[in-house]
Amino acid sequence: MRSRSAGAWLLRKEWRELIASRSFWLMLVLVGPLVGVSFIPAVQTYAEISAGAGSGCGPVCAPLDGIWAPTFSAYEIAAIFLLPFVAIRQVAGDRQSGALKLELQRPVASAIRIGAKAIVLLAGSVVAMVPALIAVVLWMSYGGHTYAPDIFVVLAGHFLNAGLTISFAMAAAAIADHPSTAAMLALAGTVGTWVLAFAGAVYGGIWASLAGYTPAALVALFQHGLVRLDVVLIALTLIASGLSVAAVWTRIGRPLRSRLAATAGVAAVATVLIGACSFAPGSVDVSESRRNSFGEAEERALQRIREPLRIEAHLAPADPRRLELDRQAIAKLRRAMRNVEVTYISRTSSGLYEGADPGYGEIWYELGSRRILNRATTDEAVLETIFELAEMSPGEEDDQTFPGYPLDARPVGAAVILYGVWPATLAGLGFRKLRRPT
Amino acid sequence: MSVAPVVPLLDVSNLGKSYGRTRALESISFAIHRGEVVGLIGPNGAGKTTLFECLAGVLSRDSGEIRVNGRTVAAGASPSDVFYLPDAIAPWPEQTVKWAMGFVAGFFGAPAHRQQDMVRRLDVATLIERPIGALSKGQRKRALLAIALAMPHPMLLIDEPFEGLDLRQARDVSSVLRDEASTGRTLLVSIHQIADAARLCDRFILLSGGRVKGDGTIDALAAQVSGATPVRDLEEVFLALT
Repeated sequence: MRSRSAGAWLLRKEWRELIASRSFWLMLVLVGPLVGVSFIPAVQTYAEISAGAGSGCGPVCAPLDGIWAPTFSAYEIAAIFLLPFVAIRQVAGDRQSGALKLELQRPVASAIRIGAKAIVLLAGSVVAMVPALIAVVLWMSYGGHTYAPDIFVVLAGHFLNAGLTISFAMAAAAIADHPSTAAMLALAGTVGTWVLAFAGAVYGGIWASLAGYTPAALVALFQHGLVRLDVVLIALTLIASGLSVAAVWTRIGRPLRSRLAATAGVAAVATVLIGACSFAPGSVDVSESRRNSFGEAEERALQRIREPLRIEAHLAPADPRRLELDRQAIAKLRRAMRNVEVTYISRTSSGLYEGADPGYGEIWYELGSRRILNRATTDEAVLETIFELAEMSPGEEDDQTFPGYPLDARPVGAAVILYGVWPATLAGLGFRKLRRPT
Repeated sequence: MSVAPVVPLLDVSNLGKSYGRTRALESISFAIHRGEVVGLIGPNGAGKTTLFECLAGVLSRDSGEIRVNGRTVAAGASPSDVFYLPDAIAPWPEQTVKWAMGFVAGFFGAPAHRQQDMVRRLDVATLIERPIGALSKGQRKRALLAIALAMPHPMLLIDEPFEGLDLRQARDVSSVLRDEASTGRTLLVSIHQIADAARLCDRFILLSGGRVKGDGTIDALAAQVSGATPVRDLEEVFLALT
């Protein structure tokens, strides 16, 4: 009877506990309408843009930006307001019911106990993504264009975000003595990342760097079709750290001091790893429209520049021009060139009262001993300035520009399926399952 | 010819446990031999559950030593020869008794025939398809006792085995527990109903305020009580010593 490993028994048990949980079924019921309220307006807006722009609309008619990013954003909401409670229930339920006192009597590594829960919760998150896949099928049925990497990268971003949510909620549930306390801790963590994002937007600097690794920033990158190695590694480190803390606190037999020491150890290792990972170079722009990259000819030309490029931008952190420059041109430049150093200078965070300073808004480009000023923040202006400074030409433009895929279609059947059929089916299945345990 | 000393199955010495500044257990020492049925008796808050949890490794002890079969058990570790059934639990409440028995059997390696035997002896057959969370207190107690008694561990720690049971059920459970002891199994049971304890146990450990106040048979404990009126039963011993 014991031939199956402890891990296999725990996996089976956790899966049964998950499908016996009301919170899981409620999450499944709700993700359908959540995807619906994202997908249906996205299709309608895409149709309006397509009708206005016509053929050859280019990046304006990219399904990644127009359909997949908004549709899958439903899972960002689910990751904040639904998934943590499912994860907390999965961990806290054992403690509340007394099952943990029985299970702990078989010596099994805490990592295996927590790992089984995490695997099952991730599997549950995959099941919850079915409504988004229904949206993909609906889009295809309207004649919409699909590019598999666009869809997979957005899915991957939300899957990673689900992993972060699960690990944090599991750690909170293992530490807290009651599920309601764990829920408050989990929500406090989410609010904390929002505060960090706000601080990053207002103060820039280290805050902006840290805010770049919050779940919202991670999802945003993937929604843009960009996979950055440092962000992925840091997310995986955070997931592993959260699960490790959960494993430490699940051993209720260990003295409190020992658990606190182990938690401090996990935090220290995680801090070192995160610091190291933040320097990991490399990123892949998997978007069909190459929205995170300059043109291929321009990138080849930029790669020929050997000298370090220094950019000094006199723009405040909350200035929209700085946001545009940083997120568009500078981000693309960093991907294309190895040696780019960007410095932002400002006296205030908003830049609203820096009008009297004649130097405010200046962007200085320095290559070797040459230095040029240009105030424009668009991709084209930045590239033009750099090529002028480098005394080179990007050469012939590539013919393979993104054509765009306009589609003037109505979201037929989406409301019926996502607002009606999905929730009704899942509610029925859940009701049946919860009433008749097997 | 020298005779090797009998090693107790469970040997506890100077066990201590505190919750913050509150000392729950202080210098607890006792030994239990194979096949004994020992009752842990004490008023509410005496530290009975804390003692069980420290013995089972569910809770870490602060000081002292626990040896099972002569081997020292590390603090917070679960001894492989001991299984603990806590009181007032409803594990896996959405799952059926049948599933719980299957899971525990698989996870801990309990033989299936033992479970079937316990289901019959504790009259759990009618409950087998019902979710654990839907059972009454007494039904749940019987189902969990069936699970615990089917375990292969030589020693069982059972917190309040008669809690929630009516008189007839309590007598039946008592009989099953005695049968188990007659097969060489060792039981340490916490019982707050003195009459139930007196019926079931060979020996008693009286616990009060986190300390052992007495350890022995009723007669041995009665001898410890000094007074004008001789004490005759466990109830009087309990009141006199705790």
